[in-house]
Amino acid sequence: MAVVSEYTDTLLPIRWPDERRSSYDVVIVGGGGHGLSTAYHLATRQGITNVAVLEADYIASGNTGRNTTIIRANYGIPEAIRFYQHSLEMYQRLEDETGAAILHQTKGIVWLAHTEMAMRTERARCLMNTANGAQTFMRTPAELKELIPELDLTGGGRYPVLGGSHHVEGATARHDRVAWAYASGASQRGVDIFQHTPVTGLLRDGDRVVGVETADGPFAAGTVLSAVGGRVTEMTAHAGVRLPVRTHPLHAFVTNDYAQGFSPIVASTELMCYVSQTERGQMLIGAEFDAQPSYSRQSSFAALRSYSYKITRLLPFLRDLRILRTWAGICDISADFSPILGFTGVDGFLVTTGWGTWGFKAIPAGGEAMAELIATGRPPALIAPFALDRFRRDHVLADQGSAGTR
Amino acid sequence: MTDRSATVAAGDGGRLVVDGRPVAFRPGDSVAVAMLREGLVPGRGGTICLAGDCGNCLAQVDGVAYVRTCQTAARAGLSVVGHPSEGLPDLPVVRATAATSSPLAREIEVARREVDVAIVGGGSAGLEAAETAERSGRTVLVLDAGAGDEVVAIYAGPMLVVRTRAGMLHVHAHEIVVATGAAEIHPVAPGSGLRGLVTARAAERLQAAGVSLGAAVAVGTPPEGVAATPASGRPVRFEGKEGRVRAVVTVDAASGAETTTPADTVVLGLGCAPRDLLARMAGEVPLSVVGAAAEEAPLPPPPTEGVVCPCMGTTVADLEAAWDKGFQELELLKRSSQACLGTCQGGACLSHVRSWIAARTGEVPAPFTARPASRQITLAEAAADAYVDAFRRTPLHDEHLALGARMDRFGNWWRPWHYGDPIAEYWAVREGVSLGDVSTLGKLVVSGPDVVEALERLYPCHVADIKPGRSRYALLLNERGHVMDDGMILRESETRFVLSFTSGGAANAEMWVRDWIETWGLRVHVLDRTMSLGAINVTGPLAGELLRRAGLADQPRFLGHVHADIAEVPSHVMRLSFTGEAAFELHHPVDRSVELWRALMDLGADLGIRPHGLQALFGLRLEKGHVIVGMDTELDTTPRRIGLDWAVRMEKPAFIGRAALERTAKLDDHRRWMGFTMDGVAPTEGSPIWADGEIVGNVTGSWTSPLLGKALVLGWQRRTPVRDRVEIDGREAAVSPTPFYDPEGHRARA
Repeated sequence: MAVVSEYTDTLLPIRWPDERRSSYDVVIVGGGGHGLSTAYHLATRQGITNVAVLEADYIASGNTGRNTTIIRANYGIPEAIRFYQHSLEMYQRLEDETGAAILHQTKGIVWLAHTEMAMRTERARCLMNTANGAQTFMRTPAELKELIPELDLTGGGRYPVLGGSHHVEGATARHDRVAWAYASGASQRGVDIFQHTPVTGLLRDGDRVVGVETADGPFAAGTVLSAVGGRVTEMTAHAGVRLPVRTHPLHAFVTNDYAQGFSPIVASTELMCYVSQTERGQMLIGAEFDAQPSYSRQSSFAALRSYSYKITRLLPFLRDLRILRTWAGICDISADFSPILGFTGVDGFLVTTGWGTWGFKAIPAGGEAMAELIATGRPPALIAPFALDRFRRDHVLADQGSAGTR
Repeated sequence: MTDRSATVAAGDGGRLVVDGRPVAFRPGDSVAVAMLREGLVPGRGGTICLAGDCGNCLAQVDGVAYVRTCQTAARAGLSVVGHPSEGLPDLPVVRATAATSSPLAREIEVARREVDVAIVGGGSAGLEAAETAERSGRTVLVLDAGAGDEVVAIYAGPMLVVRTRAGMLHVHAHEIVVATGAAEIHPVAPGSGLRGLVTARAAERLQAAGVSLGAAVAVGTPPEGVAATPASGRPVRFEGKEGRVRAVVTVDAASGAETTTPADTVVLGLGCAPRDLLARMAGEVPLSVVGAAAEEAPLPPPPTEGVVCPCMGTTVADLEAAWDKGFQELELLKRSSQACLGTCQGGACLSHVRSWIAARTGEVPAPFTARPASRQITLAEAAADAYVDAFRRTPLHDEHLALGARMDRFGNWWRPWHYGDPIAEYWAVREGVSLGDVSTLGKLVVSGPDVVEALERLYPCHVADIKPGRSRYALLLNERGHVMDDGMILRESETRFVLSFTSGGAANAEMWVRDWIETWGLRVHVLDRTMSLGAINVTGPLAGELLRRAGLADQPRFLGHVHADIAEVPSHVMRLSFTGEAAFELHHPVDRSVELWRALMDLGADLGIRPHGLQALFGLRLEKGHVIVGMDTELDTTPRRIGLDWAVRMEKPAFIGRAALERTAKLDDHRRWMGFTMDGVAPTEGSPIWADGEIVGNVTGSWTSPLLGKALVLGWQRRTPVRDRVEIDGREAAVSPTPFYDPEGHRARA
């Protein structure tokens, strides 16, 4: 009797379309987490199933399958905290809702402070988080040592730990399984997901966008949503929309698998690096995006050396772990580090972008809100502050408290 | 001698320690070969290839898990511990801090080489390429894993990261040749995880090393020079007992008849697949692939049963289950079944998975892109030779330490946070005299015929009307009209100015000023004196008296500045005030800082002089309502949002940010930074500010004023209409005009 592993056995089936319909109510460009979640929520919450998702490569092949899978809401400004807390709570219910095993684990996140200024930032974070419904509390070095026995409180003699904030509901989930859960739920309800279908242009009727052009021919659409990750500015340029977004590479790496034994997730804003143990047992280490904008997904040794150096100052036990795999993704970073969701100023053309390095944690709430916006024509309160026109209104959402470790 | 392992570790040459047991080895042995000679099979079972291609011989070696024992040279005293038979290795326990406290990971040596041609692989194709390159006069480096040079990855540059027996080697090569050869195909069949299976080449190596294979049975292409009973047909099953193989079952392709052949060792000659991980990793890096690594090889027959990926335990049934659920291409199948995601990165299983897909679709999928690492390194090996983030120290660093300062990093500088008693430091400023080390301030000297024109364009305030010997507070705006920095413009002569900037903003401001002047093509010389000048702030009602004692008879009035010798140290004396009291900033050559500081401390001893740290300074400035750019401001802070519209002269025809300010002035704008007062102790900085049950803003600065006897707060309101009364920390707070202290500024001018 052939035994199927639990990992594979718990996958939900994805339906692929046999052919293309003559037109769709909604065409979503980008089969990553946000595109698939929007399709899923259109189908499940808004009753809109005549939807196509067009993915240039395979689903979740971009940042959805390259991020470091952290789910958190410990932002610095009320608008962001409320949005991400809602998303965090949606993640907590996602397995029940979809029936998919996304390997969600609540393990808490600790952000370490090495200077008085960093302590000031973390204290502010805790106050603003708790005032907006997120559970984040200051911890003393002794409490941190109890929480993370592996922590070197001297920071390798260089980055002393003065304290830290503990975001107790911080969690992780398996990234591609989240995308697959939404792909399964959407496709089973009638959404058509086309892989290997890059969009090459937009169809226009006067000022209005009425579909997309692909190598396989045009897709007519009532509404087009760009849910592209990386190269989003190239996508919106088809509609003449300039975004205040730059695309930067971000690197991450994992070690081999070890028995579960490291919790919570540990991050340092000053060192701009963080580590968690995956459901497989790997130690997953990420850091800040490259300062130089680029579309390259090549791994960089400078990044690997720097991340390894920094994280081993704090957690010396990592020194002797062997690195299994390194990779890079490209991140759309907006001018104020906050996402851009909603109208673009071009009729029929919407955008969800600027997710920077933190789009994964926003997948449920971002998709739910975009689906509501598409269905009703009105941005839900949760995402209204993140509209593109905030830059024109000089009313940006600079979240400097969270700008360090994303 | 009861503790044998201790004896061996003490230096019994020629023995490894395997799970606490001494194991002899011969020169040239790998750990795996030495173990096999003793009848110990490394790893948890499965085919042994002795070529570094799979993950079947992993063990923990000298504390590092997931080490391929076949690629590790045996060494006396080397400690080898098997991975647990079930489950995963444990995370290592924390090492003592002392072992890691060195800021540089010096214990791992990093060597560097630049060569014309780097050749990966020392087999016949590699050596041939080396010979060709050498004949044409080029320098060549051959990196052969068998000789201990394991190529971890190829990066842009191009640069090869290599682990050698001596440490790490970074090779900068002008040309890269990948000659890594081919890897032998592992069997996929029930029982393929038993011990006692070896590839044909591994059998040859073991024979050459004098390792007995017992009763060996050869399946497929037989090994050369190894006595083995041939078993014809394809292996469909391995039978065994207690984890060790006892027989191989083969099937005849034509008749379908099964034959069971008893064996101690099954030798598998199942063909090869190109060892092309590095070639697939290079991406944008140009390289050539030669020899077997470049050759298309026939794929193995599609597997029908058993474990496909030994690292992850993925079975053929897993592939089927995932495929049936829609994961119908290599990338999706890999992620959904976890095949190819283990230590060997598909080395043992990729050709099987491709073959399996080809059987379903009729098309052979291209292999996936490989990512570093090909051969694994530890984080310590990756971090070796890392650059340390350097923090700046002022020339007075040791003085602060000697005075008992608690140092903290601020704006990338080590600075005194306090000297033990911040409240006493505060009172010294308010009632006596105090010194502050402000050497960290940015200091630019700008001069030249176009300097006034340049500064008029850079700054939103007027510059031309500043008289020599006078100064003016100025904001530095970006093109969006947002506040980047602030500081002073001090005029020295018609064509020469000194500009000061905040400690954290100095580096950026210097680039900003230079870039714009160059862009405009103006004739201005910019000299950055941030590091060459120290600066001491002498402040307090007795500051004038102290400076008289130090030799400054003619004292500049408020916002004036003079050059004078202070305690015999040539100084640029600037009469400013950030603390709210009379203040003289003494800019002087850094090599005289200690002398000047000590002289002032001595001269002021009977005045009760004491230095103040940042903590007291933040309180002092807060009483004055002075903004600290970066702490109080945000990314989009316009001057009017922080009540500094007076520092912007819109009647000027052009300055950076003017067009944006003109536009945003017309927008509905309700963000304001302002002062509040409340009873009791100061709320925590960062506290939300509430009104009518809603968060309307946040606290950016707070201080329990010893002098005013109440809590002072600076913070934002972001809702209209602006409330007069708000709630902070559960208490009522009232909007208050700033400065809270000495609003007319009599004391600063005194």
